[in-house]
Amino acid sequence: MWLEDVGLRYNRRGPWVLRQVTVRVAAGEAVVVLGRNGAGKSTLLQLAAGVLRPSRGRVLDRPSVVGWVPERFPADQPFTVDGYLTSMARVAGLSPGEADRTVRRWLDRLGLGPFRTARLSQLSKGTAQKVGLAQALLRPPGLLVLDEPWEGLDAAARELVPQLVDEVLTDGGSVLVSDHRGETVRLPGAREWTVADAAVVERAPSDEAAVAVVELEVPVGQLPATVARLRAEGHHVLRVRGQGAPPEATRPGAGPPSEVAR
Amino acid sequence: MTALVRFRLAGFLRTGRALAPVLAGLLTLGILYGGGRAQPAEAYGVSAVVLFPVLAWQTKILLDVEPDVQRRLALVAVGPAREQAAGLAAAAVAGLGLVMIALVFPWLVGGVTGPSLPGERSVPAGVTLGLWAHLLALPAAVALGALASRVITRSAGYGVAVLTLGAVGALVFGFSKSIAPWLAPPLLPTARALVGPLPWSTALLLTGWALAWAAVVLTGYARARSRRA
Repeated sequence: MWLEDVGLRYNRRGPWVLRQVTVRVAAGEAVVVLGRNGAGKSTLLQLAAGVLRPSRGRVLDRPSVVGWVPERFPADQPFTVDGYLTSMARVAGLSPGEADRTVRRWLDRLGLGPFRTARLSQLSKGTAQKVGLAQALLRPPGLLVLDEPWEGLDAAARELVPQLVDEVLTDGGSVLVSDHRGETVRLPGAREWTVADAAVVERAPSDEAAVAVVELEVPVGQLPATVARLRAEGHHVLRVRGQGAPPEATRPGAGPPSEVAR
Repeated sequence: MTALVRFRLAGFLRTGRALAPVLAGLLTLGILYGGGRAQPAEAYGVSAVVLFPVLAWQTKILLDVEPDVQRRLALVAVGPAREQAAGLAAAAVAGLGLVMIALVFPWLVGGVTGPSLPGERSVPAGVTLGLWAHLLALPAAVALGALASRVITRSAGYGVAVLTLGAVGALVFGFSKSIAPWLAPPLLPTARALVGPLPWSTALLLTGWALAWAAVVLTGYARARSRRA
């Protein structure tokens, strides 16, 4: 899919939020969109998803099935979780039988089963966000657009997002993800676009091969030594976590427990 | 698209907000038929005029009940053209409900009477013409309500202004000495035409006028929507 020379402003006399953006994302490719608050990440994602029409330029070869997970799920609606998702499945063109099966599958997978008959307006933020994820996946999307998908999700669901992304990529889809909290280390191999000053810049690929993230389990006693050794070998230690982490003083060379070193 | 129409109607009916226009409609009809008895066609002609603002208001409420982000989700699912069409269709279906109430209401309160002199219209003919008059008002009202909806006007104040100006304009430009009758949908001309015998040519002209007016306003809506999700 291409964005060709795309510009967007919300009013005719308003400032350009994005200007002359030309970017491309291929089938099977994931892109992480970075940028500070208000830089235009959401705007870029909504242009890609087809929510917004560009004021200039055009979007080409958008896949026919697009899943869009908005930053905040609109929970102010008079439906139950089950009723809402079934309706959205029907809106997306699934037959009644398919809609039922698909909704049941996603309710189970996202752990929404206990909330099946709950009203959308009564859901916690994280649970509502899961409903937002589910509605985007009712039909296997050729383009999945996730706006801050980790926001409000619990640990189990956070781990699920990379899996879902992977499945879309494996099926030949493309994925765009915005993130401002460094969660995208969970998406190794994704390209990175940075939105700033109404422009989109792709981080130049380094000479090295693509970076992957390895999660290691280390006995607490050996943690300081292991971290020090990995650093000495030139690896980036992104984060050290775990309840049994020893206090700072006994870990010379290691950072604070949840340090992000990139 | 029918799935989206049903979804939007459900969203509208499940909130209490669907009650407001129905109550307003009943109140208006109650005042209209409180005065005495009339021939069905004449009465329905006036009923279509007074229901026009109510139908437009109901359309605005129906379209505005759905949160903005949900409207965009629907847009991503079915594309912009069908998303807009589904909203208008849902409003038209809800409007038909109100039209049915308006057709039945006068018989319940004794506001209309059958033919008393030879040569007057039969009851079925009167009801048919009444249905026609309401169906002329409905597309125009849906178009005006859509133009006043939040996605276009963005603020509550502008929305009410569009609705009020449209409803007042429909009356002011509809009077028989109007300087620019074409600026309004043919509500009052239809009501006037229903008082006496109605030639086919007049009926066709009024139908074409009503549809053309709605088409022009809906084109404006679609154009405005192309820049507003």
